[in-house]
Amino acid sequence: MIAYDFFTTQKLEEALDYLDRLEKVKVLAGGTDLLVDMHKKSPRLPPISYLLDISNLEVLKFIRPADHYVEIGSLITHSKLIKEPLLNHNFPLLVEAARTIGSTQIRNRGTIGGNLVNASPAADLLPPLIALKAEVVLTSKKSERVLPLEEFLAGPYKTKIEANELLTKIKIPLLGDHYYTDFQKIGRRKAMSIARLSIALVVKIDEKSIFQDVRVVPGSATPYPQSLSKVEKAIEGKSINKIDLEEIGRIISEEMISITGVRWSTPYKKPTIAILLKRSLEKVIKESKTNA
Amino acid sequence: MHRINITIKVNGKEVTLKVGPKERLIDTLREQLNLTGTKEGCSIGECGACTVILDGEAVCSCLILTGQIGGSEVLTIEGLEVAGKLDPLQKAFLDYQAIQCGFCTPGMLMSAKALLLKNPHPGREEIKTALEGNLCRCTGYEQIIEAIESVANK
Repeated sequence: MIAYDFFTTQKLEEALDYLDRLEKVKVLAGGTDLLVDMHKKSPRLPPISYLLDISNLEVLKFIRPADHYVEIGSLITHSKLIKEPLLNHNFPLLVEAARTIGSTQIRNRGTIGGNLVNASPAADLLPPLIALKAEVVLTSKKSERVLPLEEFLAGPYKTKIEANELLTKIKIPLLGDHYYTDFQKIGRRKAMSIARLSIALVVKIDEKSIFQDVRVVPGSATPYPQSLSKVEKAIEGKSINKIDLEEIGRIISEEMISITGVRWSTPYKKPTIAILLKRSLEKVIKESKTNA
Repeated sequence: MHRINITIKVNGKEVTLKVGPKERLIDTLREQLNLTGTKEGCSIGECGACTVILDGEAVCSCLILTGQIGGSEVLTIEGLEVAGKLDPLQKAFLDYQAIQCGFCTPGMLMSAKALLLKNPHPGREEIKTALEGNLCRCTGYEQIIEAIESVANK
């Protein structure tokens, strides 16, 4: 049995105060990961003295435009992400990733903040948000800091959030003109599936049909999602008409293995990640040609 | 460890309860309110047998602590029948033989109801998406989808 005391609040200040005063507090938002871990008595779960429910903090439920950014409150559910026109218009890859999460029931409760703080290697929102260079806002009773999402991650299921901090906001910089994006995911079945492998791609294709500012972030490929700089550099500067997609596939496979070493899943993931990236590149190339 | 006082509305009726810090919504429904129509299958949000409608949204009642939802409105399978009259979805499940052992049925019906409350005329793909989180191991999904389609097409 896990023994803990339960607190809930509708005030952010009160939640931050609890986090400041109490030790061994676990924050509960949508509960779609935490209640599963509690039920299974997951060894990942640290000892808990207090459970702090933040799911009623209305102040963290917003999606709004800000200067050069879209800001998303950490308690926005996956269902709300999918419905939001601002996100569908600006970041379709994020919406696509949210659509693949769990089931309707899970998407109705699970939150963007929970997905990031839980930091599963298979978290569906991590690859698109890292590729979009999203930042997270961490708020404590006395201060606030902003970290690039990629730096926020510290390992599988590990982040740099401090015990007295709450993830309150996600900031996504707007993409300029000539940007194209894609998200691909493979699971064991269509619904209710954990990603076996996914990929988020953000690229700029300039007027001369040259790839610029390439961002490639796979999920479930490395201990935790990260951008793959070698393959990004290999794509950058290439023309969409001359790029050798087979070679790019070989480069991403090698880069993945250079990070993970050869694992039991490598015979599957090595060719599959190459194919996923090829599909994504083909899609953005086609889109850019339609736009030209 | 303190118990939490909360007031929620269940099937249109306001109830004030004392709940424990680990008490899940499914526990409250089945053990405090004797609403045993809601079933517990996997307990980890994968099978959908425990689906209820919380403030208009289909949710797994095994993944919610009752202490989280003070002031909310819950609709369970027991709330579908009104004044002795079956909900059109319940009637359709019978007509289309969309039931075999019946364990998944309350969850299936609540997922379908949540969909129709938002979108009275969904297409087949929308119905399938609404049922993504509900497993059935005997009837098969075809009759269930057809039953929901028959109500959606009315």
